[in-house]
Amino acid sequence: MRPLNFIALLLFLAGTVWVFTLSEDAVRQVQKTYYSAISPIISKGGAFEAKANDFVEEVAHSEDLKRQLDQAISERDRFKIIASRVGELEAENNELLQALKFQRQTEFNVIAARVVRNQPLNWGSTIEIDRGAINDFIGVSQCVLASNGGLVGQVLQPGDDVSSVLLITDEASQVSARIEGTSEVGILYGQRTNYGETPRLRLLFLSKSAILQKGMKVYTDGRGKKFPADIPIGTIEDFEQGPTFGEAEVIPAVDFNNLKTVFVITGPPGN
Amino acid sequence: MLLYHISLIGLLLLSCIVQQFLPPLGAYDARILLIPLVVACGAVTVPTAGMLLLAFLGGFLWDAQQIIYPPLPAEESIKIYTTIYHTPTETMKFGYTILLYALMGFLMQGIQPIFKQGKWYLSGILTAVAIFLYLMIEFLLFSFIRGGFEISIPVMKQISLTALLSMLISPLIFWSLFQIADLCKHEISYDSLRRRNY
Repeated sequence: MRPLNFIALLLFLAGTVWVFTLSEDAVRQVQKTYYSAISPIISKGGAFEAKANDFVEEVAHSEDLKRQLDQAISERDRFKIIASRVGELEAENNELLQALKFQRQTEFNVIAARVVRNQPLNWGSTIEIDRGAINDFIGVSQCVLASNGGLVGQVLQPGDDVSSVLLITDEASQVSARIEGTSEVGILYGQRTNYGETPRLRLLFLSKSAILQKGMKVYTDGRGKKFPADIPIGTIEDFEQGPTFGEAEVIPAVDFNNLKTVFVITGPPGN
Repeated sequence: MLLYHISLIGLLLLSCIVQQFLPPLGAYDARILLIPLVVACGAVTVPTAGMLLLAFLGGFLWDAQQIIYPPLPAEESIKIYTTIYHTPTETMKFGYTILLYALMGFLMQGIQPIFKQGKWYLSGILTAVAIFLYLMIEFLLFSFIRGGFEISIPVMKQISLTALLSMLISPLIFWSLFQIADLCKHEISYDSLRRRNY
């Protein structure tokens, strides 16, 4: 090995050891600096991604139209397409109405946010929203809800104009939860899922003798001051008795594959 | 040579920016991974020391973007928080990508003599292999520390398609590197291509 390469290797190893010994706080500071630097780009990137997706949908839609026109150029088909579009608009309208209704009805002080990017990470489950620290006072750990009131996650990195949200479906996410109608409490973990699958959650540390039924509702219990209490999380799908504790599979209350609008609870969590 | 290395770091930073504009493409959440691609392509054009520098910076930036440390509550609530959340999910240590990029770089440098004969397309194909191995090792490491060791077909498709998509972009990266080398009067290939610019 040439002396220069040897020195370079030593420096590389020294640098790597230094990085590995960084404390969690130091890493968070690095990530905060990095996120602040790139948040304006993410904001533009999110808008670009939305346009690209619209374009892809538009192309797919156009192909459908062409195929239909090739098959039959009739008024009836045209009306069907119009009706279909009206249906989409109606669904969109309902969703927005639901969001508006949620914002009016919720007991929390919330701020609405649009999801600008889904799954920006390789393996993690996060989203990015178009609200940031400067204008909207978004802060770390703030709780994020969906328009149906279900728990989405918590703010991971607040940038200037955009913020990153850690979803409860991520493996690193933990939520202290209770099961409605029982005294059972446990910690809810995200679970790794494959592309296209409905995300599932695991509720651990339940008592072995718990009597649970499919469809029972799961709520946050507010312990640990991470999330406010009584936010719907999902429903029990299955229960298994382990050697030391019981474990339940939970289907989230939120449709994470079609998340477009979310609500950030402003103010410190746990209130 | 120094100017070329500085330009390469500039290209790496630029790739960090462009990466933000690259959404998952098509099925299985496959995406073009520009940062590892620039590291892999750049690694074959520089000596070992330059490759290690590239791997270090690339890995550091990538981890700053990708590593998830769940947020903690305010200082006064930490004690009760840790009582309730007593078993945090294990995550990868910040900086592990530096080592993976270095491995990828050494792999790319393995066929540097062929690259220097002007057969850059073989290096292009090798970028797919390198990125596939990088993602595979990363996934296995995650599975190892978090449990649930399972290699499913969708995961394999996601990794393979990502590697393939990244490989398809590699000619553009190599072209950019040749252009930068020309501008910096740096020799990155000297047998058949004869890119000597002194």
